[in-house]
Amino acid sequence: MKKHRTPGSILDTIITYVILLVVCAIFFFPCLWLIMASFSKTGSIYSFRGFFPTGFSGATFVKLFTDTTMYNYPRWFVNTLFIACMSCIIGTFLTILTAYTMSRFDFKGRKHMMKTTMVLGMFPSFMGMTAVYILMTQFNLINQHWGLILIYAAGAPMGYLTQKGFFDTIPKAIDEAAKIDGATNFQIFCKVNLPLSKPMLVYTALTSFTWPWSDFILPKLLLKEKDLYTVAVGLMSLDETEFARFAAGSVFIAVPIVILYFCLVKNMIHGISAGAVKG
Amino acid sequence: MREKTKIWKQMIQTSRWQTRLSALVMGSGQFLYGCRIKGLLYLAVEICTIGYFAMRGMGDIRGFFTLGTQTADPWTNTPGDNSVVMLLMGLLAWLILAGFVALYIANLKDAYRLQQIVDRGERPERFIDAMKRLLDQKFYALALALPVVGVCVFSILPIVFMILIAFTNYGGSIVPPALVDWVGLENFEKIITLSQFAPTFFKILSWNIVWAVLATTINYFAGLGLALLLNKDCVKGKAIWRAFPILAYAIPGFITLLAFKFMFSYGGPINQMIRDAGGVAIGFLDLDAKWTARWIGLLVNCWISVPSIMLLATGHLSNRDMSIYEAARIDGATKFQQFRRLTMPYMIFTTTPVILGQFVGNFNNFGIFYFLRGGMYMDGYFLASDTDLLINWLYNLSIDNNYYCIGAAISLIIFIITSIISLTVYVRSSAYREEDTFQ
Repeated sequence: MKKHRTPGSILDTIITYVILLVVCAIFFFPCLWLIMASFSKTGSIYSFRGFFPTGFSGATFVKLFTDTTMYNYPRWFVNTLFIACMSCIIGTFLTILTAYTMSRFDFKGRKHMMKTTMVLGMFPSFMGMTAVYILMTQFNLINQHWGLILIYAAGAPMGYLTQKGFFDTIPKAIDEAAKIDGATNFQIFCKVNLPLSKPMLVYTALTSFTWPWSDFILPKLLLKEKDLYTVAVGLMSLDETEFARFAAGSVFIAVPIVILYFCLVKNMIHGISAGAVKG
Repeated sequence: MREKTKIWKQMIQTSRWQTRLSALVMGSGQFLYGCRIKGLLYLAVEICTIGYFAMRGMGDIRGFFTLGTQTADPWTNTPGDNSVVMLLMGLLAWLILAGFVALYIANLKDAYRLQQIVDRGERPERFIDAMKRLLDQKFYALALALPVVGVCVFSILPIVFMILIAFTNYGGSIVPPALVDWVGLENFEKIITLSQFAPTFFKILSWNIVWAVLATTINYFAGLGLALLLNKDCVKGKAIWRAFPILAYAIPGFITLLAFKFMFSYGGPINQMIRDAGGVAIGFLDLDAKWTARWIGLLVNCWISVPSIMLLATGHLSNRDMSIYEAARIDGATKFQQFRRLTMPYMIFTTTPVILGQFVGNFNNFGIFYFLRGGMYMDGYFLASDTDLLINWLYNLSIDNNYYCIGAAISLIIFIITSIISLTVYVRSSAYREEDTFQ
């Protein structure tokens, strides 16, 4: 559709682009600032001129991984990776299973379960956490990575609605066809529905990976020893003068996530809107 | 309900002695009707439960009410009661009791069903066949078992525990080994009436509501506006433009928040620039920076949440039925009218659940002020600052200062407020009332 250009539409286009430029600058600037800071030469925020450092070098990154006496970043990184991967695997499995059953089977108590999860979602997540904290102190489970993984993975199925919305869109006729061919319910799930729901799997895995990857509340509550910290807690414990180190550490853990997001942005949009329609 | 009593009455009247025996000895009916394994399993359940209650269950339930009577005494070496453990064990005992009752009823029904099968002269199903059938037909039960157990242990149990704590005096100096007691509604009375808590509570509550409304509105309209802007025909290279908000979306929240804290701090770049220009450094996030800090919080929150709303809105905008816009254009509707009468109703309809989620999320937005102004205690506030939300106060009270029972009471209040608001909005929203207007 080709429209002829009037002065009005040209002005409109210009204004649109100006707004877009400003918005993108707003979003980009803090990121740029962090990246530049992570490459600063001196490493202290006081040596910056305005926002940006005066000299550049990669020394901070080297320091981040070699100078581990005070702040053991590599260790934190491994901890975070371990916790995030394990919770991702277990959490995704549980979530998909829950969503699939809730979407496909009509059983007694299904409506009740859905309502219960809705009500549970309204409790401040924190409320449970203080209780978890009290319980964990009572049973000496503080400072255990597995404790964290269990909490993350077990909490994941609570957000099954998005995935359920997706499974609702896969026609049930396929299931029935498979059933007529003599497939059991388990086979239908594994061989028919699972291959069809790859985008949803990716979305679920991504969200259940990023949550532990960037969460700070639970690890801060439950991990008290510096060597057990995750990156989030570790970076929070950095001194304010160590700004370049903070920036380098942030850039290093943000980059994998950012790349993942960009690769999977299609799935993301799909996932977000699939969940929203069905609520 | 009346139907059910009728069925039960009929079951009692027409059952034979084998079935009735099941009421006393679980599984005996099944055993006598030929389902040996099932009968033995039921019997095992009964024996285990009775054993459990005889050994410790009764004591646990008593402990649930008393929360311990024996204080530990190091002199005489008497081990004291641990109130928290007793509370938990009491909960567990209630759960086991509930499970047992459910199984008991299932047992009676099953015995009666078997009686009917035998009366008809058929053979009851063999145990292995029944298991196979259940495994397939009740695939859902098998599949849901693990998630349900996980959610029960790690989500429901803590919440129930917290609700119970709200009615005890747990916290402060009263933590195990000291004995905890039930105090009824005392904690709620304290929050509303005591001069220590009440002023802080109401100040924080009103700011919290203002915050949630402002943040949700700003984020929603900014996100929607951005999506509409990107959706315009004249914008070329949409994927590139969209990449910037997605970048912001992908960065873990705590990094953004800490970075913004650095940015606005005294030694931060903004103040450095002000100082270089000959000005005096501004304490953006200082003790007396009430509204500056609040606005910074709102804007930072915007930076973090707008991209997700934009992505969501983009998804919905592309699902629109464009023919109605064509019709509107032919009828001479202006761009603004189209937005007001077509786009807005559609977007609000499709995103009501998301807006509600955003509202609840913002109401309980812990991160923003924890990072920007964490750990500040102000005059006129009890263990809080003027930007703290209820959830931050809750954290200060319960994690940093051990006021567990007060914290629990506050979280119950938060829950009641958020659930009332979201339920009323949800029920009154068009998404709920006219479920398929736009489908």
